[in-house]
Amino acid sequence: MDFSAPHAGFVIASYLVTFIVLLGLVLATWLRQRRAREQLKTLEERGSRRRRRAGKDGDSA
Amino acid sequence: MQKYANPTRFYALSGKVLPWLAAATLLAFAVGLYLALVKAPQDYQQGETVRIMFVHVPAAWMAMFCYSTIALASAIGLVWRHPLADVAAKCAAPIGASFTFLALVTGSLWGKPMWGTWWVWDARLTSVFVLFLLYLGYMAIWQAIEEPLRAARVAAIVALVGFVNVPIIKFSVDWWNSLHQPASVLRMDGPAIHMDLLAPLLVMGLAYTLLFFTLHLIAIRSEITRRRIRVIELAEVQG
Repeated sequence: MDFSAPHAGFVIASYLVTFIVLLGLVLATWLRQRRAREQLKTLEERGSRRRRRAGKDGDSA
Repeated sequence: MQKYANPTRFYALSGKVLPWLAAATLLAFAVGLYLALVKAPQDYQQGETVRIMFVHVPAAWMAMFCYSTIALASAIGLVWRHPLADVAAKCAAPIGASFTFLALVTGSLWGKPMWGTWWVWDARLTSVFVLFLLYLGYMAIWQAIEEPLRAARVAAIVALVGFVNVPIIKFSVDWWNSLHQPASVLRMDGPAIHMDLLAPLLVMGLAYTLLFFTLHLIAIRSEITRRRIRVIELAEVQG
């Protein structure tokens, strides 16, 4: 690509906007999945701790 | 097909497919950008500005493809009440909205040097802008209604009604006088552009399509996880 060509700025701007939007989309999608996975893991750990505690309480009763 | 539409099975299968899909997406973008920015020659009329086409046209294709995916998944969700179809429709919307935004912005960046204006309210541009508004409205419905089943039903009806805009976009340049040029790739008598410019366009189109499938799979997996979280939280509140 010839960067000194007329209207080269419009070409650069197009690729820059595309890169920023697509990178933002990828990051947002990936972060959302990571957050959901971490939240599920926390909930499952809390649930299994509660079940263990309930099991112990049941044994001692 | 029904077997893979089970959310648990889908989650396991998509986990295996995703790394390959992501690698194919990166490869397609690398080849596509090389062809678009290095190998493709200047156009005899447009000069370097023709390179905008390699990011603009695939974005416009994907804008329509994503909305068609939403409409199809919505129809499946409405008829067969399949929860994964609703999830697929919901997850395609932000991706489609991003592609539509890109089609509008890069189209505008091409229009200024070539047409002498950033924007005209002609049939093609206006119908793509309406598509962008449809995406925003569709996503707003999912945000506004908390109960997923009810949100899915309302959103599906809106998506199906809005689908009428997709053929309008495609044929707007044939039906009305438009500043926008008619189709030059998807034509009955074959593409009207030279192979040197068609190759990068098709490879970039493939890269955008692979990116959509990659992000869509990740988003669906994320939504399945969020629904599991919702079920656990509801069970905790009730129990």
